[in-house]
Amino acid sequence: MALTSSMLFSSVGKKLLNAVSGLTLLGFILAHLIGNLTLLTGNSDAFNAYGHFLIHKTGVLLYVFEYGLIVFFLLHIITAVSVWWDQQVARPTSYKKTASGGDTSKKTLSSTTMIYTGALILVFAIMHLITFKYGPAEAQGYTTIVDGVEMRDLYRLSIEVFLKPGYLIWYIIANALLGLHIRHGFWSAFQSLGLNHPRCTPILYKLGIVVALIMGFGFVVIPAYIYFKGGVL
Amino acid sequence: MKLDAKIPGGQLETKWSSYKSQLKLVNPANKRKHELIVVGTGLAGGAAAASLGELGYKVKNFCIQDSPRRAHSIAAQGGINASKNYQNDGDSIWRLFYDTIKGGDFRGREANTYRLAELSANIIDQCVAQGVPFAREYGGLLANRSFGGAQVSRTFYARGQTGQQLLLGAYGSLMRQVDAGNVEMYPRREMLDVVLIDGKARGIICRNLITGELERYVGDAVILCTGGYSPVYYLSTNAVNSNVTAAWRCHKKGAVMANPCYTQIHPTCIPQEGDHQSKLTLMSESLRNDGRVWVPKKENDSRKASGIPENERDYFLERKYPSFGNLVPRDIASRNAKEVCDENKGVGSTRRAVFLDFEEAIGRLGENVIAERYGNLFDMYQNLTGENPYKTPMMIYPAPHYTMGGLWVDYNLQSTIPGLHVLGEANFSDHGANRLGASALMQGLADGYFVIPYTIGSFLASTELPKVDTSHDAFNESENDIKQTVNKLLSIKGGKTVRELHRELGYLMLDKVGMARDKEGLEETIEKIPKIREEFWNNINVPGSSDDLNKSLEMAGRLADFLELGELMARDALNREESCGGHFRTEYMTEEGEALRNDKDFTHVSAWEYQGEGKPHVLHKEELEFDRVTPSQRSYK
Amino acid sequence: MSETKNITVHLKVWRQKRNEKKGRFESYTVKDVSTDSSFLEMLDLLNEDLTKSGKEPLEFDSDCREGICGTCGLVINGVAHGPQQAIATCQLHMRKFKDGETLTIEPFRAKPFTPIKDLIVDRSAFDRIISKGGYVSTNAGSPQDANAILIPKKNSDLAMDAASCIGCGACVAACPNASASLFTSAKISQYALLPQGQPEATRRASQMVDQMDLEGFGNCSNHGECEAVCPKQITIANIARMRREFFKAALRS
Repeated sequence: MALTSSMLFSSVGKKLLNAVSGLTLLGFILAHLIGNLTLLTGNSDAFNAYGHFLIHKTGVLLYVFEYGLIVFFLLHIITAVSVWWDQQVARPTSYKKTASGGDTSKKTLSSTTMIYTGALILVFAIMHLITFKYGPAEAQGYTTIVDGVEMRDLYRLSIEVFLKPGYLIWYIIANALLGLHIRHGFWSAFQSLGLNHPRCTPILYKLGIVVALIMGFGFVVIPAYIYFKGGVL
Repeated sequence: MKLDAKIPGGQLETKWSSYKSQLKLVNPANKRKHELIVVGTGLAGGAAAASLGELGYKVKNFCIQDSPRRAHSIAAQGGINASKNYQNDGDSIWRLFYDTIKGGDFRGREANTYRLAELSANIIDQCVAQGVPFAREYGGLLANRSFGGAQVSRTFYARGQTGQQLLLGAYGSLMRQVDAGNVEMYPRREMLDVVLIDGKARGIICRNLITGELERYVGDAVILCTGGYSPVYYLSTNAVNSNVTAAWRCHKKGAVMANPCYTQIHPTCIPQEGDHQSKLTLMSESLRNDGRVWVPKKENDSRKASGIPENERDYFLERKYPSFGNLVPRDIASRNAKEVCDENKGVGSTRRAVFLDFEEAIGRLGENVIAERYGNLFDMYQNLTGENPYKTPMMIYPAPHYTMGGLWVDYNLQSTIPGLHVLGEANFSDHGANRLGASALMQGLADGYFVIPYTIGSFLASTELPKVDTSHDAFNESENDIKQTVNKLLSIKGGKTVRELHRELGYLMLDKVGMARDKEGLEETIEKIPKIREEFWNNINVPGSSDDLNKSLEMAGRLADFLELGELMARDALNREESCGGHFRTEYMTEEGEALRNDKDFTHVSAWEYQGEGKPHVLHKEELEFDRVTPSQRSYK
Repeated sequence: MSETKNITVHLKVWRQKRNEKKGRFESYTVKDVSTDSSFLEMLDLLNEDLTKSGKEPLEFDSDCREGICGTCGLVINGVAHGPQQAIATCQLHMRKFKDGETLTIEPFRAKPFTPIKDLIVDRSAFDRIISKGGYVSTNAGSPQDANAILIPKKNSDLAMDAASCIGCGACVAACPNASASLFTSAKISQYALLPQGQPEATRRASQMVDQMDLEGFGNCSNHGECEAVCPKQITIANIARMRREFFKAALRS
């Protein structure tokens, strides 16, 4: 018999699901970041070709990925909220004073705000989808031709959006939160999977900072570059 | 009363095995019908409750702590002896037996001590099977060390936490029986009386330490595993809740108390710093392997250690015992430290301490080696005192930490009250007048795992035990007595706190019934204690109420018993006109100042029978017979 | 001994009557506290004062007062067992504090640690977790010779690291989530590292985790505060090991 649902939704099981989904989502946004870097080429064709590839060349896989992502997103959210809820009820009377126990503690701003950073990232993700996935498309005149196929001009949309200062600021905030979320989330996922080793864990812990910085800055660098270049790359 | 130790006949080596096979058994189907009360969850109690549960008895197990895992056995550091001879250094059951009986200065029972040595090997097997993480060699075999001056390496250890690991092993087994429904656990209960019906121990009364309610429990036998009575000295290495109450209340119901004056004062403890202190902390005596003990030659010398030149230091143990030096047995080391302090040569703020100096060892071996050997002890010392023992000498002073005396039991571990069995430190049986290092754990577990499971069966199978319940008059009577005492304690509302009077008793006991005793001091104590007792019953201030969690009330009840026990200890010490083991009478010493036994008049166990309030105890003697060993004089010159 | 002096401390202490739903903080001043005395001895002193002035003393748990029994446990200025690492409350000394300092003293707080009185809480949940598998199921009797089981020193040492848990509950108290993972994992780890523990490893991990959840402890989010306050410095590597054991149990069950 494999994992039973009761085991999956035990305290340890929930963390397993949260870790697996978290790492998967991290993989997704990493791929997303790499894809987005094509924006920086300043060549509208490169970015649109990337979009073209995703939309027209992946076939059914796209749907598998999209629905898969939704599932992992939901799993990540459900388990996270559940863990958070457990925590809410586990200490009915809170301390008057709290302080950290000292050096070996891994309690950070990141670790204590996971549920909030997570929630804001969710809001951002939804708005991000509204802006881009469900934003202006061919009908609104955002068309281009890639490989002889007429498709949505995502490059133009991106440049236009990122030229709005308000959006840029919101984007910077959201990605800083993402970085903050990953700072604890990254190494913590391995710990939740039971992967702890006296030599590897300290490295993973530091690597978490690197990954957080890459994610936080990587996603911000692109729109900031576009903004300060006035959209002419 | 005639004390019958019920020691089986036959060869010493085969006594236990042949006796065991003749003991009556309880039918497995009937075991479930026998309810047994086990009081205490230390090594003896925890092991007994677990093993009896495993056998199928219905066990009720009580402890004063909030969890059975916290019994004071947990604090034992050094290790546990066993005659495994894994090191091929010539150890054997006989040698462990002989060392133990000699270490006890020939004031213990041959048969009990032999059985203890015999069972020691089995204990290690049992504990390893339980998953106790004993120290190991690289090859995966168990590691041993030599301990307490023994000439063979027979001590098994789990870092400096051997007691903890053995106790947690027993606790695990106990919790397994709790889960199986064989043992019912009653934590935060203090036993306040044993209930006798038809002359047999058939129940106990406990105070629920949370609600204050008095609770009645009935059983076919009561197994008392409540430890020793060192806190009679107020400051000891025992836990602050360790007490004599359960044992003393049994004593008052007819269980005779044996050798109460046999107490052990451990030499390497951190000295007292002031009256604020609530307990003393022991450091492993292995420190004496490399540390040199000294005091200034000059009286009342208040210079710092570093300011006292070499020729003004007195390395008194090395001077007096050239061959053993700093490694003399515990009692000798302790007594000598007291003597030099009495001569005003003590050091530290209270002048009741001697130096334990590692300067020479650090010079010879380097700080790293010393840190490797004693690092945790040095850290502990620094944390407690704020001084760095790598730089300045440690200060040490002896502290009470174990009591060899206790309730008298026969070979079956049954007291003079039928059905009341006493195990571990609470009984008197296995260590004579002085206990060797790493032997307390051994006795607790031997009693609990391997003796009581056999002897209790025989008791149950051969005793008529009509059904009784808690509505019996004996319960009412006992409960009323307790209520009266409690109410009295709460109503006095005098000017002294429990702590103040306990301190007063303790300082007196330590001074007069401690490491060295004499007739004058003992008589003085016997005169003074009733006065403290009188003040206690007229001028104590116990705050709070009886129907609540009230630690002051708990402590007051315990002090009331210590105030009676202390007097008996002094009487026993006065009566024993000889020096033996932990009992040192300054009138009885050799020309070199060593303990002088009087085998002609005192080769016996002194067992004291309670006669009622205000009446003197009656002394019964159990003559000790040595068939196989010949008592000899200890010499460590 | 070294530079002993007497200081005054101001306390804000949690007081809660038995059967009372909510407690409150009360302020006390303790004068003439020797810097050589331990934190609990300072509270003893407070209790002497309270007793003498006809007030009810403060109830707190303690027993061995040398850091091994696990009975004591207070949250001092927001940290379980106080500001010094790797010790229990009873080993904390007053020389750690300044003259005139104000100290906030609270009980270990978690839902399963129901308050009993003042600073005393009920930690019996720990016993129930252990009762579900914190042992090797072996009856007292005649097992094989102790040296018939060979255990690599490294594993034995790691098992001892985990086994040194004193069950004080500081891990729960310090955990922002009030999780008992460090406690539970220490016991699971000890046996996971030893051959004696293998036959029932699966059962042990799943049952103990189930019981831990049932008691109402929070979930572990890997903050590592538990490790930082643990008097025995038990590491969260044990929590990871517990999880591995649990996954193994899940896959094998």
